[in-house]
Parts: sequence; C-alpha cells; structure tokens
Amino acid sequence: MKHALNVLSLIIVLYFVTGCAGVLGAFTDFTEKVSKETSDKASRSKGVLSPSDYIEKATAFEKNDELQAALFYFKVAGALNPDDPDIVDKISGLESTVVHKSFEHLQKGGKFFKNKQFKEARYHFLTALRYDPDNKEALDYLQNRLIPKTYISYRVSENDTLNSISENFYKNPEKAFLIVYFNDLKPDTAPLPGTLLKLPILAPKLIQPTLNIPEELLKAESLLKKRQYEAAASITERILQNDPTNTTAVDLKNSADYQVGIQLSREKKYGEAINMFKKITPKSEVVDKSIQDVIEKELSQAENFLKEKKYTAAIAVAENILSHDPSNKAGRDIMNTALCQNGKSLLIRKKYTEALTVLNRADPGYECVERTLSSVKNSMKKQAEIHYLQGVKYFLNEELQSAIKEWETTLTLDPEHIKAKKDIKNARGLLEKLKKVQ
Amino acid sequence: MPKSENRKKTILFKFFLLNFLFLAACAAGTPNHRNTSKAFIDDDFILVKTTDKDTLSTLAADHLNDPTKGWLIAEFNDIETLTSGRTVVIPRSPLHKGGLKTDGFQTVPVLVYHNFSKNSSGKTSVSEAEFETQMKYLKENGFHVISLDQLLDFIDYKEPIPDKSVAITFDDAWGSIYDIAFPILKKYGFPATFFIYTDFVGGGKAMSWEQIQTLSEQGFDIQCQTKTHRNLTVRKKNESFEEYFKALEMEIDYPNKLMEKKLKKTCKYLAYPYGKTNDLIIAILKKQGYRAAFTVEWGSNPFFVDKYRIHRSIILGKHDIESFKKNLSVFKKNELK
Repeated sequence: MKHALNVLSLIIVLYFVTGCAGVLGAFTDFTEKVSKETSDKASRSKGVLSPSDYIEKATAFEKNDELQAALFYFKVAGALNPDDPDIVDKISGLESTVVHKSFEHLQKGGKFFKNKQFKEARYHFLTALRYDPDNKEALDYLQNRLIPKTYISYRVSENDTLNSISENFYKNPEKAFLIVYFNDLKPDTAPLPGTLLKLPILAPKLIQPTLNIPEELLKAESLLKKRQYEAAASITERILQNDPTNTTAVDLKNSADYQVGIQLSREKKYGEAINMFKKITPKSEVVDKSIQDVIEKELSQAENFLKEKKYTAAIAVAENILSHDPSNKAGRDIMNTALCQNGKSLLIRKKYTEALTVLNRADPGYECVERTLSSVKNSMKKQAEIHYLQGVKYFLNEELQSAIKEWETTLTLDPEHIKAKKDIKNARGLLEKLKKVQ
Repeated sequence: MPKSENRKKTILFKFFLLNFLFLAACAAGTPNHRNTSKAFIDDDFILVKTTDKDTLSTLAADHLNDPTKGWLIAEFNDIETLTSGRTVVIPRSPLHKGGLKTDGFQTVPVLVYHNFSKNSSGKTSVSEAEFETQMKYLKENGFHVISLDQLLDFIDYKEPIPDKSVAITFDDAWGSIYDIAFPILKKYGFPATFFIYTDFVGGGKAMSWEQIQTLSEQGFDIQCQTKTHRNLTVRKKNESFEEYFKALEMEIDYPNKLMEKKLKKTCKYLAYPYGKTNDLIIAILKKQGYRAAFTVEWGSNPFFVDKYRIHRSIILGKHDIESFKKNLSVFKKNELK
C-alpha cells in the first residue's frame, strides 16, 4: 500500500513539475510518431502523401520553372523526412536560384523603365516577383511607379509664394487654392522654403480658361468675312478642342481652311495648299477639284523647270505631285525624264557616283534611264582602266604611295577590278618591308 | 482499517480532482487544437492529420485565423472536402502570391449591374430570370464571389483570393435591385457592393434609405457614387475652374457624410458616374481617404491595376449566358519566364 502511495505521489509531482510543457513534450513525441507513421504508411493510405510524393511534385514544379512551388514542396518533403541531406541541399540551391533570377529580371525591368518601354518593364517586374514574391522593389514598380502619377512633388524655394508656384505649374496664379487644399495650408501663408508640396496634375483641358463658345463662333464668322482666314481657323480649332461635335465650328473651320488653301495656291505654295485642302472633312467635290487644279499647276511648273534644264527643281515638284497622287502618270514621266537628264549632265561632268545615285532613283525599265546607266557604267570601266595603268607607271618608277592611290581610285570606279586589288596588296607589302629595312 | 480505507479514498479523490483540474486548465490554454492532430509546424506551412470533427472551415479558422480561407486548403490539397485521418498541408502564405504563375497572372472580373425588371429585360435592365441564371452559373461553375475588401487586399498584394474570384457590384440604387437582385443574392449567399448616388435615394424608382439600411444590416456593402451623378470629368458651361473643383469636392464628400449619418458607415470605395475620371478627381479621392475607385471600362483586373481606375464590366439586359461568360476572365496568359 505504502509503495502504491509513493508511486502515486511521484506521478503527482511529475505532473506538476513538468506541467503543460511535459504534456506538450509528450504531444511532440506523439507528433513525431505521427510524422514517421504518416511517412511510412503514406503509400498505403489513400489520400496521404509520402515525402517521395512531395519530392515528385516539387520536381515537376521545378521542371516547369515554378520555383516557389517547387521550394514549398521540397520543404514539406524535408519536414516529413528531416534527415535527408539531398532535400536540404535542394532547398538551399533553389532559394539562391530564385533570388538570383528575380534580381536579373528586376535589373532588366529597371532598364526598360528608364527607356520608357513600360510594357516590357512590367513584364520583367512581374517575372521578378513571380520568382521572388518578396522582391519589394519589383512590387514598388508595379504598384506605384508604373501607375500614372496624380501629384508632382515640389520643394519650395526662397521667394516662392503660393501664387508664384501656381503661376509656374498651372499658368494661372488663381489656382493657388489647389495647393492650399492638397497640402493642408493656410490660404494667406507662404509655404516655408524647403517644404515638399504635393501639386495635383491637371489635364491640359482643365488648365485652359473656359471658352465662351457662342462668342467665339461670332468672332470666327466676323474674321472670315474680313478674309482673315488663318485667324478664323485658329479660333474654330480652339472651339473644337472644347466641343468636338460643334457643327457650326466644323463648317467655319472648313471654310477658313479652304480659303487659306486657295491663298497658298495663288502664292504657288502648292504642297502647303494641298495639305490645307486635305484637312477639310468631310471631303467634297469642290475640295477634290481644288486639289486637282493645284496638281495641274504643279505639273505645268515642273514642265517649265524641265525645259529650263532646272532638273533638281523639276524633280522636287514631281516628287511633291506623286506624294499627293502616286498614280499621276504625267508627274511620273516628268520625274523620270528629269532624273535621266540630270544623270546625263553628271556623266558629262564625269561625276559618275552622283550620276548613278540619281539614275537609280528613277523607275526601272525607263528607256532613257537604262541607256544612260549603261553609258555611265562603261565610262566608269574605261576610267578605271586609265587609273590602273597610271598606277602601274608609278609602280615602275618606284612611287609606291602614288601607285596605291591610283589603284584605289580604280577600285572606286570598278570594285571588281582584280588586278588593282592584287597590286595594292603587293605594293603595301613592299612598303612594309621597306619600313623594316629603314 | 476503516480509517486507513478512508485515507486512501481521500488521497485518490484528491489525485483525480487535481488531475481533472490540471487537464481542464491545459485544454483551456490550447483551444485551437481541440480536434486536430498537429503533425508539424513550419514557417511556410502546417501539416495536420485531420479528425472526423474537422472541416476546411475549422482548419482555416484554427490555423489561418480566418474560417473563410478553407478554399486555400482545398485548392492546395486539390480536394473538395476533408476525409478523416488524412494529412493535409496548410500553406501559411499563398504559393502564387498576386496570382502570378509561369504562364500568366490571375485577373478578377468585377461585374456591374444597374436596373432590373421582373419579366422582359431592356438595354440596361436585366430580367429576374437572366440574373438568376447568371448567379446559378457562378455557383455551379466554381466561381468564388468575393467582397471589394477581399479584392483590394488582393490588389494591395496582402491576401490571396481563390483562383476563380469575381466581385459583384450595383450602381445607382434602383429600387428593382432591392426587389429582384437582393433575394437572389441572399439565396446564393453571395456578397455584393451597392454604389448609391444619394440624390436619387428615396425617389420614385429608387431604393429608400430604409431599404438600403436593410441591405447594410444583412451584411451587404454600401458605397458611394457621388451626390448628383454628374459626369465628374466635364466642366459645365460657364463654370469657373474653382467652381468646378468645389463641385467635385462636394460630389465626393457630401454622400460620405450623409452615409455616416444614415448608416453609421463611411465610404471607402467610389464608383465614377458613367465610369469617367481624371487625375484631379483621383487626387481628391486620395486626399479624402478613399481606398479605391471603379470605372466601367470593360475587363478583369490583375493585382497591379491602378486602384483608382479599377475595371468593371457592365452586364446589360438581353444577354444570353454565353455573352455573360465573356465577362468572367480570371487569368491572363502571358509567359513570365
């Protein structure tokens, strides 16, 4: 009996000495058992995975570049099988890989961001964050720096007042109340130098003063009557910025643009006149006819330049006609004739390279151009030969530098001249040897 | 002998009493683990061998301090319900934070409804049958309807949400929302947010404050959609810039104050009338402490969306279920390698 009482006393003492910790310790032992048991019985128990199952999952994720998921499953496997050194190594390797890959993409994203290639930057920041969900810098770019700003920060300088800051930023001192509101300032107090202010960004439309549209329409009409077409067009443009569907403004603007086009045509500024007519919407027969009239005038001007042998001017006008009307046959003929004549003139002056450049701008197959091109190429070959022989003469007189110069000219005229290439190499070799001897 | 027997009985009684009190104290100290056998705790996860008393919700409550996160355990272990004796992995943080995966990222559709009609639908009014079909589709196809708070926690990169998450919102405070949409939402147990423009409330076809109060008491989220529903981006003819600014401030501030008076709640989200906004409006919202704001630009939202330009897809009437499905994109393919 005494023995039984002693045992009981010991149990009581143990209970109170170890307390809950003792019980939890026992619980931990139990969990270890559960853990091992889970591991051992895993394959037998339906729905319970073993360490090897988690390793298999982790490996599949790793193969798919889902490194965070792979890391996670390796950790689960490691928890179930803490004595496996391979798992520990794998975890440590993966941890370093994710940080490295994340950093690489962060760097790339930063470069794209700097170059304002925001789509590409966003892709790299997202990838950086996918590899390392704790990459704070990538997150900051995505959540803050890639989102349009609503404020600009401004540090107050000496002599700044609320009105002067407002004048600088909003082109209007009367918007100072915005600075007061967004920075919790007192309206009549100048902010202290060095203070950082938040200035809300305003859309351009909000910075412009309000437009009294009926009044502005009257002004535009009056200017049109006074034949001040450009001023009238400018007012109507402003009205349309505020009210794009204002049909009266559209009509007035069309009238003003048409008159400006006629004026430009009279001043022989044909290209500008056509551009002005093309601004008129919707297109009308009157406008199309005006454009055709201007093109006719341009054609006549280009023909005159051709007759006067002013080929460069003729080419410029013909180019302008074709830019507005690419299928204009008369314009194309003038262009090709002028290019051919210009090429011939350059050939006579032995400016072969320039002649080639000019002739190559013409349409292929144009007879005059083909003939002149052939003459230029023949002349170049003949000239190349003359320079080659002159080079040989220099070579025989032991004037190696002059010989090389002549042969180089040969090559500019005939890049395939085999002898010139060979002789230049030979002469340069001799010059090297001479240098060494001296 | 009787004296000795009595002594033994006293000692045994005291021992069992102490034992009982001790175990009771220990049990009271660890209430979270009453039913489950905790196998392992790691920084990133917990391994638990479940008992027959566990559910996804109780596990989430015990180990993630949030009973609504049962989906996280279900998604992770690829299960729909728990079976006793199974070892489950409870992730302590999401595997795909921000919904980022190798082949793209998670997006969350936010649906916006306006008016409802009992029978035939109109351009912006959805019929009762259409709405029922749409909600049923969400329920039966594994969509999780989340609150705007959950959406914003996801956008803020704080909390994960289920893969197939969607949020439901209603604009304008039409009375038909209360009569038609509200019972259907209750039936499916879906959370929703009602954006109201306060000048409309109490009008002929609008909800009354009492009805809005009822919605709020039943756990639905009531938020602001300005005072008058004017297009905030348009400055009225002959309105000076200062007058325009003051009008904006009032449109945003007044309904919030009224809401506080009527519902004892303030607004943290705003739906822009006609979905239109500009930088100045956003600056005022930030100044007034709004957490986010919603447009009606079509499309789903990734976590890195501009919080003051969150997209919402308008659900119009006369749309069949196929058209409805087009608004439910929950993943954007974009290889992130």
